[in-house]
Amino acid sequence: MTDATTAPVGPRANFGQRFAAWLVDIVIIGVVEVVLSAILGRAAGQGLGGLLGLVYVIYLEGSPSGQTVGKRLLNIRIIDADNGGPIGYGRAVLRYFARILSALPCLLGFFWMLWDKNKQTWHDKITTDVVVPTDAYPVEAWPG
Amino acid sequence: MTAVQRVELRDLRFAGAAMVAVGAARGVSHSSIGLPCPLRALTGIPCPLCGMTTSVSAAASGHIATAFFANPAGLVAVVVALALLAVPRRESVDLPRWVVPAALVFMWVWELFRFGIL
Repeated sequence: MTDATTAPVGPRANFGQRFAAWLVDIVIIGVVEVVLSAILGRAAGQGLGGLLGLVYVIYLEGSPSGQTVGKRLLNIRIIDADNGGPIGYGRAVLRYFARILSALPCLLGFFWMLWDKNKQTWHDKITTDVVVPTDAYPVEAWPG
Repeated sequence: MTAVQRVELRDLRFAGAAMVAVGAARGVSHSSIGLPCPLRALTGIPCPLCGMTTSVSAAASGHIATAFFANPAGLVAVVVALALLAVPRRESVDLPRWVVPAALVFMWVWELFRFGIL
């Protein structure tokens, strides 16, 4: 099923799963920012918190599992749209910043998955990835 | 033959129900909580979805004219969301490929006029 040489043609993660996973992740990053702001002051706390959030997302989405904590809890993961393998750290960086494009026109790039054939957001398309359920595409180790 | 795009309705039904619920709550409570458009905040130029929060809230609380002028697509979105709830067993629909791009172009032109850019 997860043959790393073939394009993944199985099921895709749905909107509810992806939205809930995002909520979990922003709560985690938000709590870290609040704690750091209390210790270091508002500006330094938010700056360092934002940087840690960036590292958190890029490290986990680029890892072989393709799962942040939110995605892990919701049993979904990011894989390469062409071969089903991990997207790697370079494309995880691209994906992080491509989210800005998805958000720019009132989040249109996020809503795009609602009618897209592959349920891809704009940042999925830019990074050539798909988000899939782990029951169809199991994770071997986390973060892997 | 017109090229068609198969749209699965499960996610749309879920998102549509959430949209109508939030819109109705926002309309009834006269809340002004919402997401400012990043594109308009940065450049002054509205995006195709500008006005949708106002439109959906107004439509979901019965203010049809307000909804229409803010963004006609908000009215359509509420009607489609309610229609999807009325046919819970329908799993997909085939749309001509031009529908989504054409709707977005129409919405964008409407907003560009509404904000006095055109």
